[in-house]
Amino acid sequence: MRKVCADWKTEAFSPALVNGSYWPDFEENAKAASAEIFCVPDETAAAQKVLEIADEVKADMVVAAGTETDRGISLACDTLAQAGKQVFRDKFEVAEHAPQAGLGLSRAEFGVGETGSVCVDTYSYEARVVGMLPPAHIVLLDRNALVENVTTAFQVMSRVFQKGYLGFITGPSRTADIERVLSLGVHGPSRFFIVVIGAEGGSIHG
Amino acid sequence: MAEQRNLKKEIDTKLHDEVLQDALSRFADQYPEARLRSYANVDSIEGLRDDLRDMKQWTVHHIEQVADEFEASIKARGGHFFRAKDGDEVKKYLLQICKEQNVKRIVKSKSMASEEIHLNEVFENAGLHVRETDLGEWMLAVADQKPSHMVMPAIHLNRKQCAGFFSHELKEEVPPDIPYMIQTARRVLREEFLSADMGITGANFGIAENGAIGLVTNEGNARLVTTLPRIHVVLIGYEKLIPKVEDAAKILRLLPRNGTCQRMTSYMTMVDGPTPVIHKVDGKWVEEERQQYVILLDNGRLDAAHDEKMNSVYQCVRCASCLNVCPIWTLVGGHVYGHIYSGGIGAILTGLLHNMDAFSQFSDLCIGCRRCTTVCPGKVPIPDLIDELRSRYVKEHGLALPERAAFQKILANRKIFHTLLRLGSVAQKPVASKGFIRHLPLFFAGMTKGRSLPAIADVPFRDRYAELAKKNPRSSLKVAFFSGCNLDFVFPGTSVSVVKVLQDLGAEVLFPMEQSCCGKPVLGMGDRDTGRKIAKKNIEAFESCGADVIISACPTCAETLSHTYRELFRGDPVWEKRAEAFASKVREFTSFVAEKYEQQGRLQNVNGSHKTTYHDSCHMKRGLGIFEQPRALLATAKSTSFVEMKNPDKCCGMAGAFGIKYSEISLPMLTEKIQNIKATGADTVAVACPACMMQLRGGLDQQAPEIRVRHIADILAEDIES
Repeated sequence: MRKVCADWKTEAFSPALVNGSYWPDFEENAKAASAEIFCVPDETAAAQKVLEIADEVKADMVVAAGTETDRGISLACDTLAQAGKQVFRDKFEVAEHAPQAGLGLSRAEFGVGETGSVCVDTYSYEARVVGMLPPAHIVLLDRNALVENVTTAFQVMSRVFQKGYLGFITGPSRTADIERVLSLGVHGPSRFFIVVIGAEGGSIHG
Repeated sequence: MAEQRNLKKEIDTKLHDEVLQDALSRFADQYPEARLRSYANVDSIEGLRDDLRDMKQWTVHHIEQVADEFEASIKARGGHFFRAKDGDEVKKYLLQICKEQNVKRIVKSKSMASEEIHLNEVFENAGLHVRETDLGEWMLAVADQKPSHMVMPAIHLNRKQCAGFFSHELKEEVPPDIPYMIQTARRVLREEFLSADMGITGANFGIAENGAIGLVTNEGNARLVTTLPRIHVVLIGYEKLIPKVEDAAKILRLLPRNGTCQRMTSYMTMVDGPTPVIHKVDGKWVEEERQQYVILLDNGRLDAAHDEKMNSVYQCVRCASCLNVCPIWTLVGGHVYGHIYSGGIGAILTGLLHNMDAFSQFSDLCIGCRRCTTVCPGKVPIPDLIDELRSRYVKEHGLALPERAAFQKILANRKIFHTLLRLGSVAQKPVASKGFIRHLPLFFAGMTKGRSLPAIADVPFRDRYAELAKKNPRSSLKVAFFSGCNLDFVFPGTSVSVVKVLQDLGAEVLFPMEQSCCGKPVLGMGDRDTGRKIAKKNIEAFESCGADVIISACPTCAETLSHTYRELFRGDPVWEKRAEAFASKVREFTSFVAEKYEQQGRLQNVNGSHKTTYHDSCHMKRGLGIFEQPRALLATAKSTSFVEMKNPDKCCGMAGAFGIKYSEISLPMLTEKIQNIKATGADTVAVACPACMMQLRGGLDQQAPEIRVRHIADILAEDIES
């Protein structure tokens, strides 16, 4: 899968900028933006959580991006498939089925404490449609891949952003265009889940 | 030439639009606090604003260099790049692409620039299917209406009206149920995204060093527009360019907070060069590089960049917070501003990017209260830019109406002006009672509704000065009093109080008789030539009196004398120095008195008998930055016990001639102010500005006659034994 950066941990992150200490801010702001957060100890538990969420949102068809290189995503797909879900991982199949899928699954590179945003590397087409077309979207995030604020987020991104498609997602798709009443899911997902993997203080730096 | 509009009629319609009024008043009430809450986790808002301003200022001063780098970055990544001088060039270029690339269906997201050049009409005329995808924009396009706000385009509509547009467009009955309408829009617009050949977006920023464009949306439509169609067109104005990737953070820490009171919008998307698209070609799924066309639009922007007085408009990030706090916009909404961009910033953009005739028709809806300058992320000096454009327009076209021209001649000649004022005091006799003009002749009826206008005093202050001068102490401190028209001819009693308070400080008070109006009324209309004539007369009048300090008890005069006079003569070989010497002596009354009281150990906290609140004049608070001193003086005064009101610094609606010309807008502002005064339970409202005093007395006279309006000079004078 094409990415802006193939290995964010070694090429973009540095311990001073990216670490788990911004967790309280991140959690508070992400929840305030209507993101739903679940913390799990490891990738196996993450896969189980993804399945639970799929059941909760009544998704029988799931599209995923990044299975070739991302163990967490790959494991979750296996678990979903074993539970009888229809899972698409190939980019052409993802493109074809994303409009009908009930759930999309992909990776978030890091979170931003100040805003509760997650940075998504969506250079590939499939990474974008899994996050936009289904009514629910799950990202997997490393517990210690957090930056303090938007300024530091851009310091991190500027190290690797040479070409492609990169950005933040902060909660589900929303609008307030009718009477300024908050409504979710107008174009993108109405539910946005962050499955956070790992324990506090664990190192993410190789 | 812009179409001649009947602005007063348009305003009247908006003021009677209950849906609009309800939406705007609720929004205006909630916005300031919601904005501040979003900043609660930021150390210094000022620091962020300074960073953004500095970055944008650097960019505009290097705009060609930054644009060249942006172009090189796009091309190096395989994107097409085109610099369009104006809308026509954009249209020609895009129609050509549509033809070559066999484009039939187009989806759009987030592009004010395309509205600015009326792009959609051209596509429709060429038989192309084009759809806006932002929910609000889509509804408005369906309803054939224009956005009334840059961030909340459909704020003027309610759910019933929206349902009507849905039903009409979809030819099915859509109930006024918001979740249902949202899901309907999702279904309908999803088809548009999936079947579109071309996506057109604007950009919140364009990064020179890597060619990326950034888009912030909450709905996510920009992500779909930049993902699903096989062609992506970016229409970006020069003012959106920034040098470095990291500079984007300087915009993004402020734009969502100011725009929608969010710490971040749901989606912040950066697209850098062509990206993959997977679509069906001849029944087979294939992956290709998306065609990317970046159009850098000038349409007046480069001239603005090279205009030293106007280039701070590049500091605007289109958050629209200036509208959200504007006392006029929050009453009338965006449509009366005409063209595409509304509010104060809209007037400027209209003047720079559209035409000056259109600008001149609504530019006086900015009353110069400067509330916008306290929130603007990029610190754009909006009222000053409007002032500059106004003066340019007047220089070229002269003042618009014959009566304005007459006003201009009268004001330039003190003797004629003062003679007329004296005549006025006699002529109004049949209609004045108890110091108020209650029943003006019929054609003035609209102006006195809901408020009384003050009468011109029988004896102006200038005729009373000689008597007061006899009480001058022998002093080394010589203070000259600049009264201004209101304190000379309408409220001479307050001038007497000013003199009394100054004499009590130990000052010898001088009053140069050749002084006249400060010139603000003509300067406000943009007539700087007449303004200069008046300024020279005043400067001459005070030069010869040998005063150390020049005191004004009217903040508008004080601001004009100290700030504008300096500006007026910048670069003038003789007058720049004389204006500087004059301006540097000017002090606003309350700040001067508070300083002296403090030196003399007279400032204290007395709990006086009258519960008194204080109304901040716009020019005093935001023009001169004086707001603590009047409160300190009120705490000291024996007769007052101070109580703060809600929004004490929101404009009372007078704003010079505005309050008379647009009385229908001025009155709701006054009514809101009076409600806030009443809610404090105070029996006195103190002011430090005679124009506010005129407005508040007029309103309270009709709406709450039990509450007194007093200038702080009058309150202080009461404590002085004569």
